[in-house]
Amino acid sequence: MRRQLRSRRAPAFPYGYRYRLDDQDEVNQNYLADEEEEAEEEARVTVVPGLEEEEEEEKEEKEEEKEEEEGQGQPTGNAWWRKLQILNEYLWDPERRMSLARTGQSWSLILVIYFFFYASLAAVITLCMYTLFLTISPYMPTFTERVKPPGVMIRPFAHSLNFNFNVSEPDTWQHYVISLNGFLQGYNDSLQEEMNVDCPPGQYFIQEGNEDEDKKACQFKRSFLKNCSGLEDPTFGYSTGQPCILLKMNRIVGFRPELGDPVKVSCKVQKGDENDIRSISYYPESASFDLRYYPYYGKLTHVNYTSPLVAMHFTDVVKNQAVPVQCQLKGKGIINDVINDRFVGRVIFTLNIET
Amino acid sequence: MRQKTLEIYSVELGGTKDMEKTDEGDGKEKYRGLKNKCLDLKKNHQKEEFRKELDLDDHKLSNRELERKYGTDIIMGLSSPRAAELLARDGPNALTPPKQMPEIVKFLKQMVGGFSILLWIGACLCYIAYGILYSNNTSSSLDNVYLGSVLILVVILTGVFAYYQEAKSTNIMSSFSKMIPQQALVIRDSEKKVIPAEQLVVGDIVEVKGGDQIPADIRVLSSQGCRVDNSCLTGESEPQSRCSEFTHENPLETKNICFYSTTCLEGSASPVGTATGMVISTGDRTIIGHIASLASGVGNEKTPIAIEIEHFVHIVAGVAVSIGILFFIIAVSLKYHVLDAIIFLISIIVANVPEGLLATVTVTLSLTAKRMAKKNCLVKNLEAVETLGSTSIICSDKTGTLTQNRMTVAHLWFDNQIFVADTSEDHSNQVFDQSSRTWASLSKIITLCNRAEFKPGQESVPIMKKVVVGDASETALLKFSEVILGDVMEIRKRNRKVAEIPFNSTNKFQLSIHETEDPNDKRFLMVMKGAPERILEKCSTIMINGQEQPLDKSTARAFHTAYMELGGLGERVLGFCHLYLPADKFPETYSFDIDAMNFPTSNLCFVGLLSMIDPPRSTVPDAVTKCRSAGIKVIMVTGDHPITAKAIAKSVGIISANSETVEDIANRLNIAMEQVNKQDAKAAVVTGQELKDMSPEQLDELLTNYPEIVFARTSPQQKLIIVEGCQRQDAVVAVTGDGVNDSPALKKADIGIAMGIAGSDAAKNAADMVLLDDNFASIVTGVEEGRLIFDNLKKTIAYTLTKNIAELCPFLIYIIVGLPLPIGTITILFIDLGTDIIPSVALAYEKAESDIMNRKPRHKKRDRLVNMPLAVYSYLHIGLMQALGAFLVYFTVYAQQGFLPSSLINLRVEWEKDDANDLEDSYGQEWTRYQRKHLEWTGYTAFFIGILVQQIADLIIRKTRRNSIFQQGLFRNKVIWVGIASQIIIGLILSYGLGSVTALSFAMLRAQYWFVAVPHAILIWVYDEMRKLFIRLYPGSWWDKNMYY
Repeated sequence: MRRQLRSRRAPAFPYGYRYRLDDQDEVNQNYLADEEEEAEEEARVTVVPGLEEEEEEEKEEKEEEKEEEEGQGQPTGNAWWRKLQILNEYLWDPERRMSLARTGQSWSLILVIYFFFYASLAAVITLCMYTLFLTISPYMPTFTERVKPPGVMIRPFAHSLNFNFNVSEPDTWQHYVISLNGFLQGYNDSLQEEMNVDCPPGQYFIQEGNEDEDKKACQFKRSFLKNCSGLEDPTFGYSTGQPCILLKMNRIVGFRPELGDPVKVSCKVQKGDENDIRSISYYPESASFDLRYYPYYGKLTHVNYTSPLVAMHFTDVVKNQAVPVQCQLKGKGIINDVINDRFVGRVIFTLNIET
Repeated sequence: MRQKTLEIYSVELGGTKDMEKTDEGDGKEKYRGLKNKCLDLKKNHQKEEFRKELDLDDHKLSNRELERKYGTDIIMGLSSPRAAELLARDGPNALTPPKQMPEIVKFLKQMVGGFSILLWIGACLCYIAYGILYSNNTSSSLDNVYLGSVLILVVILTGVFAYYQEAKSTNIMSSFSKMIPQQALVIRDSEKKVIPAEQLVVGDIVEVKGGDQIPADIRVLSSQGCRVDNSCLTGESEPQSRCSEFTHENPLETKNICFYSTTCLEGSASPVGTATGMVISTGDRTIIGHIASLASGVGNEKTPIAIEIEHFVHIVAGVAVSIGILFFIIAVSLKYHVLDAIIFLISIIVANVPEGLLATVTVTLSLTAKRMAKKNCLVKNLEAVETLGSTSIICSDKTGTLTQNRMTVAHLWFDNQIFVADTSEDHSNQVFDQSSRTWASLSKIITLCNRAEFKPGQESVPIMKKVVVGDASETALLKFSEVILGDVMEIRKRNRKVAEIPFNSTNKFQLSIHETEDPNDKRFLMVMKGAPERILEKCSTIMINGQEQPLDKSTARAFHTAYMELGGLGERVLGFCHLYLPADKFPETYSFDIDAMNFPTSNLCFVGLLSMIDPPRSTVPDAVTKCRSAGIKVIMVTGDHPITAKAIAKSVGIISANSETVEDIANRLNIAMEQVNKQDAKAAVVTGQELKDMSPEQLDELLTNYPEIVFARTSPQQKLIIVEGCQRQDAVVAVTGDGVNDSPALKKADIGIAMGIAGSDAAKNAADMVLLDDNFASIVTGVEEGRLIFDNLKKTIAYTLTKNIAELCPFLIYIIVGLPLPIGTITILFIDLGTDIIPSVALAYEKAESDIMNRKPRHKKRDRLVNMPLAVYSYLHIGLMQALGAFLVYFTVYAQQGFLPSSLINLRVEWEKDDANDLEDSYGQEWTRYQRKHLEWTGYTAFFIGILVQQIADLIIRKTRRNSIFQQGLFRNKVIWVGIASQIIIGLILSYGLGSVTALSFAMLRAQYWFVAVPHAILIWVYDEMRKLFIRLYPGSWWDKNMYY
């Protein structure tokens, strides 16, 4: 604030007669002004914490602007000069020791009052937020209607859903491999065996007990992905022009697919010749997300939960041309044709494999 | 012959000479004023002015010279081809209507006025932003295009709306300016023809008869009892005779010129007054035309409310632009993309600008205008509605505004006593003692010695409204006697008139001789009325209590005292006497010869005096008192005589009963005027002559030092000077008037008020407001409404400004803290132009909190519409609380859907990434981009509902500024509840009905979110009640000064 005040005052002097007439006076005024400001500032620092100061400053800002605004519209230089002087007087009136038409005392009163006002407002909002948190469970979201139905995402993913690479140039696909490797670190068999339990397939893994109890997670081993696990082929098929793409369904707390009817994945050419993709292998072979991975209990208790994956191995795709692929989830309770959202229950990407 | 009529009737209090001098000087002043104006106009109208100078000596020329000058023939008139030629040269004989701004310019002005410029800039920025985005990526979102289009739509809609409102109020007025086409009887090609007055040209010979309007400025060539009413030109209601003789140097004073648009009176004289004259100037070159052009030359001042709104727009625009730019810089320095920063800038501007407010103000003003129209104040210019409320000085014309504009019997003197007659509009209760036999005689004289008659066929009309053929005084006497005695015509029939000498200026009396109604009494009764001193001269006896007594010195003194007293009241006094002619000398068959005067006209019996005045309207004194208590100074400005003016001023309270002028004090103390301490005098009567010699400083001094001022004998220019003088005192000046002579002052005034019935078209054109019932008291209503609207506009603006902070904060937080955007720009527009419109108009229906007519008018420069406490309280108190409440709803929605507040911080970048379709929330759930967007819209809707709910509380607290809501009555203003209902209904429609329209970015909202902000709304109410409580408890305290807006 002080800087502002000074910068506003500065242009007020150099052009005028006052400069010439009473240098000494001006110095005095400046001195007085500074003293006053310092006093004010001190007062504020002692009384007012940071937030308050910000508000106050904002307000002053406004006032100044207002003043400026009013000052506009006088075309002649003389009038401008007069306005500038009035403004200067307004900012700091040396005779009455007033800044912005208030004395230091008045300013400190205002600061105190605003401090209490905003402090109580802060208390009110804190109370409100506290009540809000009281009503909200940290384990289960209150509503899930906006996050349902589940969305779909693929890996590797780096900003783009276009897989363009040249088989003979490892540089063009190396980053996919690195990305997949990184992503699958959490699925390493050893890690899964150590952290998670092996639960029976084909049925929900329902864990009774209190909300706040830690929940166990089912194993999803990297080895389930077979040829796309990167264990046998560390390049995930990219080096042979048969890329692996992993598909992941978005987690939703409490989401359960229809019993006995797990969510399946199926891919096909989105637009164009269906024969552009001659064969796809899915891993696990069922091409589905097993029911034992559901429901999800939320990240606070279900710490080690690993999202189930379906790997698509595009073993025979037309080369040297862009092939748009759409992978859809199928199953009850799954919606895959929302017009506005191209990631709900489906994902669309293009493969352009050059040889 | 009849030219001196006026003087007989005029009051002569030994001041005749003075008065005449005043007249003369004043006339010169008028003339000079015109000439000055001519000089001003010279650049544009040099030719015209030159012609005008020549015109001015027409009254001095002989008929022959005139014929030569205008190339015409007094007997034959102009030839038709010559007339056509002149018509082509000079144009039609009509006043050019004041220049209207072309409609398209008016329309465009609405389009760029107020906040429109800001919104235009915003819209342009939107398109530019989209253009840049589009050039980078052809599939970029259309959000900016929507926004830009919506902004343009908003500007155009509000512009069209304001234009429509204005056009509507101007249309009301245009009906006034339609005049019935006037006809004129002209001699052309030596034939008498009736042609439209518009086609008259210079040199035409026209004939005018009683009742006609003078069709142009004419030089009278011959006349028979022609008298004109110049009141629309000079404000004088005295009829003036016109003849062919040159009587005065000054063309305005001379009797051989009649002026355009004045009326030739229907006289009772037979034959009806006629005159033949030569047209000497037409259209805009007439005197009236010059005054009218003087009026149009006066610039239109900005109305106080326009200044206030401009001030307000400056404040808001200043805040908007400065915060916008500040955050633009912050955004850029926070490494935001410049394009994003521009979009922030637009959003901040949109959030800060109350788009709907100016339309609301227009509606509010027009609602008040309608309300005032019902109370007979027709407002021509919407903004004038408020001007009346801030008026601090009213310069009122006398004739027709303060007075009834008709002569009425005010006092009677008989039996050595003065009786007061009822001068109210209907004369209903005449309470003076009517039992005396003197009164019986007097009433007989009044009835019989009178040539005025009611026009036939008005049996059902109340007496006071009946049309009378006859001059003003005779009309007054006729009506007076009709009210008291009943059927006057019947009485006259019973007392058959046998001879009559009409009024003439040499005799200065009127006389008639009648048979008496008593069949046994064969005497003739001679009745006489006239100038009192002349009548007294002819009398040797006086009737006291019905007995004739010799007229001795003491009775003569009593007569003089009464005469002086009545004259001092500014009244026109007439004396009455009679004589029963002895039957022996004047037998029934006696033939009276008027010319030979074969009957006595001396040694008559004096019966009484009767005085008449144009009395004040009965509602005026009360209205003046109300103006006084409302802190409004009422100044009388009239063209009439100072004595009459002062008398009327006293009777209506413009000069209050206990205040004196310098002359009064001098008279009372019997000292010279110079010795009087000027501080003692509260009132002043200033004549045009004195005003002429005053410097502007002296006038200022006069205006500030005397609370009660009457200006008499003023010219149109001087009225202008007086108005300017008042305006120099920073006063908001209202001028009332009816005549053409008032029109420049009406135009110059902050608010000109014209009389609807008596007012001339020129006056109505120049005025901002028309009093349909010509009643000064309507002004008081207007003042009240104007003050109320100012207060209510404050409330409306405070209400509207409050939510700006709640709309602005989301963007600031969004930029700085990086929350997902809490409210969209289009949603903001739905608040500003949807839910908030009807409630803010509803505030205009709020009743006054206290007696607004008991406080001083607001100071033009100090009491602003939007002052610091209003802005601070709206922005930093209620606005901030509202923002917090709305944020609470927003956080609740996000938290309940999975994003706890802590997870939202700095989420913005991730949140808005189009390719992040598995963004994790606080529960580990993953969201696609569209799901997030849907949630974001739900957030917008939630924030919107949060603001809406709190705006309901805001609306309720804004009902009063000082009183508690419970003092004001929660349900007294029903419209407020309509407003609240509209708010809720629009909210419901938007959040449930239109939830699926992508461009609007609304989403379905669970019902419970409507109630999240309710505690905050209640808090706002409680806080404001506390504020008001402290203001009421500690008036003048720090709190009062800083928290009362």
